[in-house]
Amino acid sequence: MEIETEKEMEIETEKGEPMAEHVLPETFRDLEPFAGWALATEKERNQKRLASTMAEIQSFYDAILPRMEAVIAYLNQFPLDAMPADAQRLLSLTFSLAEVSTAVELFKQPGVIDGYDATRFVPVHK
Amino acid sequence: MAAVAKEHGSATGNGKRWHDQHPELGTAPVPIEPYISQEYFNLERERIFRKVWLNVGREEEIPQPGNYLVKDLPVCGASILLVRGKDGRLRAFHNVCSHRSNKLVWDQRGSCQMFACKFHGWTYGLNGQLTFVPDEESFFDLKKGELGLTPVAADVWEGFIFINLDPQPQESLKEYLGEMGESLQGYPFAEYSATCYRWTTELHANWKILKDAFQEAYHVAFLHKRSIPDSFTGKNNPFSHGLDYRLYPRHRKMAVYGNMEHQPTPVEKMAFQFGSLVIRNDFSLSNLPPGVNPTKDPSWALDLNVIFPNFFVDVSEGTYFTYNMWPLAVDRTLWEVRTYYPQPKTAGQRFSQEYSKVIFRDVIMEDCSTLEQTQSVLASGAKSHFVLQDQEILIRHDHRVHEDFVGFYR
Ligand code: FES
Ligand SMILES: [Fe+2]
Repeated sequence: MEIETEKEMEIETEKGEPMAEHVLPETFRDLEPFAGWALATEKERNQKRLASTMAEIQSFYDAILPRMEAVIAYLNQFPLDAMPADAQRLLSLTFSLAEVSTAVELFKQPGVIDGYDATRFVPVHK
Repeated sequence: MAAVAKEHGSATGNGKRWHDQHPELGTAPVPIEPYISQEYFNLERERIFRKVWLNVGREEEIPQPGNYLVKDLPVCGASILLVRGKDGRLRAFHNVCSHRSNKLVWDQRGSCQMFACKFHGWTYGLNGQLTFVPDEESFFDLKKGELGLTPVAADVWEGFIFINLDPQPQESLKEYLGEMGESLQGYPFAEYSATCYRWTTELHANWKILKDAFQEAYHVAFLHKRSIPDSFTGKNNPFSHGLDYRLYPRHRKMAVYGNMEHQPTPVEKMAFQFGSLVIRNDFSLSNLPPGVNPTKDPSWALDLNVIFPNFFVDVSEGTYFTYNMWPLAVDRTLWEVRTYYPQPKTAGQRFSQEYSKVIFRDVIMEDCSTLEQTQSVLASGAKSHFVLQDQEILIRHDHRVHEDFVGFYR
């Protein structure tokens, strides 16, 4: 899945006003500032976690956690193998919540304390 | 054994020890030499890896005729080609061309009608028969019928594919697995194997350092105090004493305690609403077969099933995971880690699996560091032996089984 950065998401209107191109389903536009976490693979999500500050991780966690009941209820309408692109992005955001949860809830730092080099533990799956 | 299991709650125990039931194992410290000796490693290759049944995959990986899988076994300088034939049968061959021994298949997996060697184009059917030789007339008395791929013994147990490099295996896979195999009869492997997440890593550690670390729970309260602070330890079992231990002639198992008072984190709680996690949150009685959690202790988390020499099948409710430790050198190991779950039907179920695999992986990140740190000082000569306590009985048993095969100290 191609992930657009926030810069790329802004397109110019005719009047020269920037207009955001939406990447998440309408009900979840409040999570759009965190669309950078909508990454397709575990490897990418783990890399982003490790490259982020705790403040960045925490603000993503705080934004999405209270929305999770609604997010999952929304996503559960779709068959897993036939999700619209915006729902697919939202699903990968929930995977990023899983990814950062251990940083926030257990380690209080981005990586595992005294942990192994994550780049050496290679996922064969997505 | 059930009577002892009830006592897991006591920090000091009831004075009864698992070792009392296995006086043949003794209680002495065990030698470090097998973890650092090149001579020992060479014997392991000849007397273990070339002799016993080795797990190399699962049937789901090659479901259709023509599907193949390549499993390299550097410890034996071998590569094995597993292929499902047109007749639906699974066969294993040495992945070596009959002409001048080029490695026949170079990719890891795929699907095909025949195998053609990249070197000079010799071609083999899915059943290993040599079917075509370019410029055949220039050879001398070529007997194509005798130049098929070299077969390797292969068999399947509960969907797990095993091979045996011994041209004449001394026993069948069923005999080899014995009581261990029987104890897992009825476990829903097929249902739980629909989804597989897997990782590999190359560790700078002897393969037995890995095995040891994953067949005891003594370390959980310390090494994993941050990641799993209250899942496998509890007020009434601060040192993760096992619920049950079973030792077989070659294999062994431990029923691991799970704390029913475990307090899930917010995201874990969310994930648990939608599916089973590797960390158990629901301790209501399961309908797993009698051999799983053999004492049927309600505070059960999972069973470690250690199949000699290098295969772990650790089963819980709703999920299981496996390890394969493949020696590369005396101080290097290729480790394959797989976690299995049922097919997720909803986004919620898929999310719960994602959480489960992340926490599982991060716990393992803690283990991996220790494995390499241990190996890095092992050859210093500072210590000649490991000191083992009662709850490390599986490690002691493993030493005994290794010595039975390797005969280094005989
Ligand atoms: S080595 Fe395979 S055809 Fe020559
Ligand atoms: Fe561990």
